[in-house]
Amino acid sequence: MSKQKLLPVLNRLVSFWAKNKASLLLIGLISTLAGCGAGTDKLPILGHREAVTKLVDGKSVTDSVYQSIPDFKFVSQYGDTVMAKTLDNKIYVADFFFTSCPTICPKMKVQLKRVYEKFKGNPNVMLLSHTIDPAHDSVAVLKEFAQNLGVTGQQWLFVTGDRDKIYEIGQNSYMVTAQADSTAPGGVVHSGAFILVDKAKHIRGIYDGTTEAGVNKLMNDMDRLLAEYKL
Amino acid sequence: MMRLTGFFIALVVFASVSSCQSDEEIKREQYITEGILVFKNNCANCHQNKGEGLAALYPPIAKSDYLVDKKSVICLIRYGQQGAIVVNGKHYNRPMPAQPQLSDLEVAELITYIYNEWGGETKLTGVKTVTPILDQCKK
Repeated sequence: MSKQKLLPVLNRLVSFWAKNKASLLLIGLISTLAGCGAGTDKLPILGHREAVTKLVDGKSVTDSVYQSIPDFKFVSQYGDTVMAKTLDNKIYVADFFFTSCPTICPKMKVQLKRVYEKFKGNPNVMLLSHTIDPAHDSVAVLKEFAQNLGVTGQQWLFVTGDRDKIYEIGQNSYMVTAQADSTAPGGVVHSGAFILVDKAKHIRGIYDGTTEAGVNKLMNDMDRLLAEYKL
Repeated sequence: MMRLTGFFIALVVFASVSSCQSDEEIKREQYITEGILVFKNNCANCHQNKGEGLAALYPPIAKSDYLVDKKSVICLIRYGQQGAIVVNGKHYNRPMPAQPQLSDLEVAELITYIYNEWGGETKLTGVKTVTPILDQCKK
């Protein structure tokens, strides 16, 4: 369609919108609530989904259940217990690293620091960095690392814990690679991904945490995700 | 006639000396070009592209007083560095991994790049200089 043809169509759309704003908004609201008309500017929900059939008032109702981050129990750089509920009512960015990593982690930390600086003080945003080398990265080591990186407060947590539990949640829930490999520099192979999780603990985006472009997209999507909660 | 011959001799001498210098200059530029690549692939993750380091985690190379001791810089590239160090008055305590994969030539290219870019030098540190130093500090 040419531009000349497009403009009148747009104008008509705009005036149609102006005349029927209330009813259109209502339709939009209903379709959003119905779950099938999610606005196009909404971020997708990633991961597998299951159709779950339940009996409600004697009728069988089928609903899709999205993959979500299960409960977990790790320890932060302050020695506090961190569980899924620590991040309740927050959107958060998760990543996997280790402090002695000579390869992509420093890049990831430079990039995540940009995210930290941008959303510093925003009560709806947290950052959660999991060490995949808990044998070395004790609470004290993580505390020193965070301090040296210039991170203070509770907004960016560096967590350690049971190694298998960390690998399991990384691979099965956050959908990233994390496993020991003696041939890799530092002894561990892992992904450089940043994972964006919403308040319902659904994964809404996976980004390349080693590049400025990837992290620009993440920060843009974080703004979009936060906007979903502003009503 | 004698004066003209003298002039030509002077010209030839000058030309050979200056082309000698520019050979040296070409070699320096080759070292720097290769050194940039070595730096990007092996150092910049931590020390960053502009050599500014990262907060209190990784020390800067740019304008670093640590560059004064070139021998120890050459050695720590190959063999790594453990324990606390002070750079420009700030404390750092994070091990630097050894880089045994870098050849003597690559270390020389890297040193030439670092010292020309951030150490105020405009000269080549050749592989012939670097190899005996690396042999001395072999662990």
